[in-house]
Amino acid sequence: MLSNRLSHLWVPLGLVLILGIMAAVRAPQTFTYVGLAGALLVAAPLILAAVAITPIAIAGRGGVDLSIGPLIGFVNVTIVVWLSENGITHPILVFAYAILAACAWQMLLAAFIIFVRISPIIASLAGFMILQGVNLVILSRPGGVAPEWLGNWGWGTELLSPVLYILLAAFAIWFLFQRTAMFQHIRLMGADERTAYTSGVDIIKARFAAHLMAGVFAGLAALCLTGLIGSGDPTQGNTLTLQAITALVLGGTSLAGGKGGITGSVLGAVAMYLVFVVLSSFNFGAISGFMTQLLYGLMLVFALLVALVTTAPRTRAA
Amino acid sequence: MDQPIDINRKEVRMPTNKTGLARVLRSDAKGLLIGAALLVALFTVASILVDGFASANNIRSILLLAAFLGLASLGQTMVATIGGLDLSIPFVIGASNILLAYLFGTSVPAPLALLIIAVMGAAIGFLNGVLSYKIQGQALILTLGVGFAVVGGAQIFTTLGSQYSGTVFSQVPAWFSNIASISGTTFGLQFPPVIAIWMLVAFTLIYWINRTKSGRAIYAIGGNRTAAARLRISEFRTWVSTYTISGLTAAITGCLLLGFSGGGFVGVGDPYLFTTVAAVVVGGTSLLGGSGGYGATIIGVLVLQVLTSFLVGMGLNYAAQQTVFGLLILPMVALYARSPHIRYQI
Repeated sequence: MLSNRLSHLWVPLGLVLILGIMAAVRAPQTFTYVGLAGALLVAAPLILAAVAITPIAIAGRGGVDLSIGPLIGFVNVTIVVWLSENGITHPILVFAYAILAACAWQMLLAAFIIFVRISPIIASLAGFMILQGVNLVILSRPGGVAPEWLGNWGWGTELLSPVLYILLAAFAIWFLFQRTAMFQHIRLMGADERTAYTSGVDIIKARFAAHLMAGVFAGLAALCLTGLIGSGDPTQGNTLTLQAITALVLGGTSLAGGKGGITGSVLGAVAMYLVFVVLSSFNFGAISGFMTQLLYGLMLVFALLVALVTTAPRTRAA
Repeated sequence: MDQPIDINRKEVRMPTNKTGLARVLRSDAKGLLIGAALLVALFTVASILVDGFASANNIRSILLLAAFLGLASLGQTMVATIGGLDLSIPFVIGASNILLAYLFGTSVPAPLALLIIAVMGAAIGFLNGVLSYKIQGQALILTLGVGFAVVGGAQIFTTLGSQYSGTVFSQVPAWFSNIASISGTTFGLQFPPVIAIWMLVAFTLIYWINRTKSGRAIYAIGGNRTAAARLRISEFRTWVSTYTISGLTAAITGCLLLGFSGGGFVGVGDPYLFTTVAAVVVGGTSLLGGSGGYGATIIGVLVLQVLTSFLVGMGLNYAAQQTVFGLLILPMVALYARSPHIRYQI
């Protein structure tokens, strides 16, 4: 059964392998010690953002959290404006704030979805618009200074850096979470909410739990983003929404719910980073940004269609 | 005796033949009514608080911007009615905008250039429909992917052999900019023809949707696919043609925006990514499919545009406007697109 459960990983794994080989040929400096350290630093916010939206997608109802990007941006600007400028820079306080703030937002979103009973995509769409505006009100243009210890992450010369530990901690949290009954409840709810409800699953608690996990990872993503840019940026986070969704879908997590995991999302995010590396090794000049866009689009369509072809026969047999 | 379910809940009560307000408030017209009331209230408040809000000039500019948003939201409404979403709209708008500017810079005659862009838009929409048919739950991601690819491809095409990226310079024919610029005139009257075009399109569409078999098929599919199949309505044909219309209207909007701005710019579509969805939702079309309609979206578009103009008049910037839009969506959806409690879905 293991091969069956991991079958959705073939596409992202293949993509990462092919792109990795291309990157090794075209841009060998990526795979040096310093290169890897830099890559880890740059890719960490996207990886964690993609991980964050995974439990929400698994929880079903077509749940894709559009507000994830502005949420990461919100935590980023508030760390700089509310904490750093008021002298609150102790690592424990900043970590606690980032995770609690992101969790609080996710709880609010979940409460709207559960109690007002509006579809998740509309709730997160409204959240996207609200936070996008709020971020610009808090900090109208990029600026400010991150706490010194956090800004120092941005050097990116050491592989064994706090960013690596955060990523490892995130994976550890996820794999522990996967062993809980709550995770199975979320998966069952995502696959078929009515069945879950009639089997006695507390679907309210399960949906809150999925959003809570998303909040933890979103907080960590915001810390990595703040470390990467060393300041506050009200718009940088917004672009993460579409990138994180792309990574999620490339990783084989179905937006229909009930299927997938963070391994796929991480591979998807790594594939997107590698596309960027490979393309910037070619000298496309003015059009390199457009090539990236074109390839992201084609990869998305391709990943969706491959998932369709590989899963269709099995559903028919079942 | 205890009832297994509370029979006084709205979801389980049998429909009654009550007349008057109670019946209107439970029908499909509820959205239209609430939207229209909101529109009137907004307009009144804005006219009192902002100097010159009700002036002919301001109303003209509101209607002009509403025409663009209205045309861009047309496809989104149709797609939402069958339970999908089309996120490629802003990218198709941006791509057709720069491609038309590029074609105006070549020796291709202007009408032919417009035709080429329109066909391209319809083709993209067709592709969206065909590719997403089997994965309808993920249609929004698929259309997003197609959108990325289209806008990337269009930019590569127009940038090759030019040193400017993202912007295309060329001469827009005067008759074409008259259609969509604020100073344009229609048969000597002081309003740009695009407003008239929007109204004409809206009337045709609403007539087609409500009075023809193929129009009603869209609601049948959105309401209940099994029932629609029993009526021999082809789900595939409806799905694909709806997306094709969406691609076509997005491309036309992109062309008209070129007439409005006078220069090709690929980012021109970006504000429409979520605003089209907001207009559809504020109007009262449920994203679950089967209810709502373009009439509701027109109200939604006008509400958003009057609100924008009001907020600008109050000195609020783009960021604050977005926040207000977001705050507006939640109560509107809570009013008429709530799904029933899970215990009533079994």
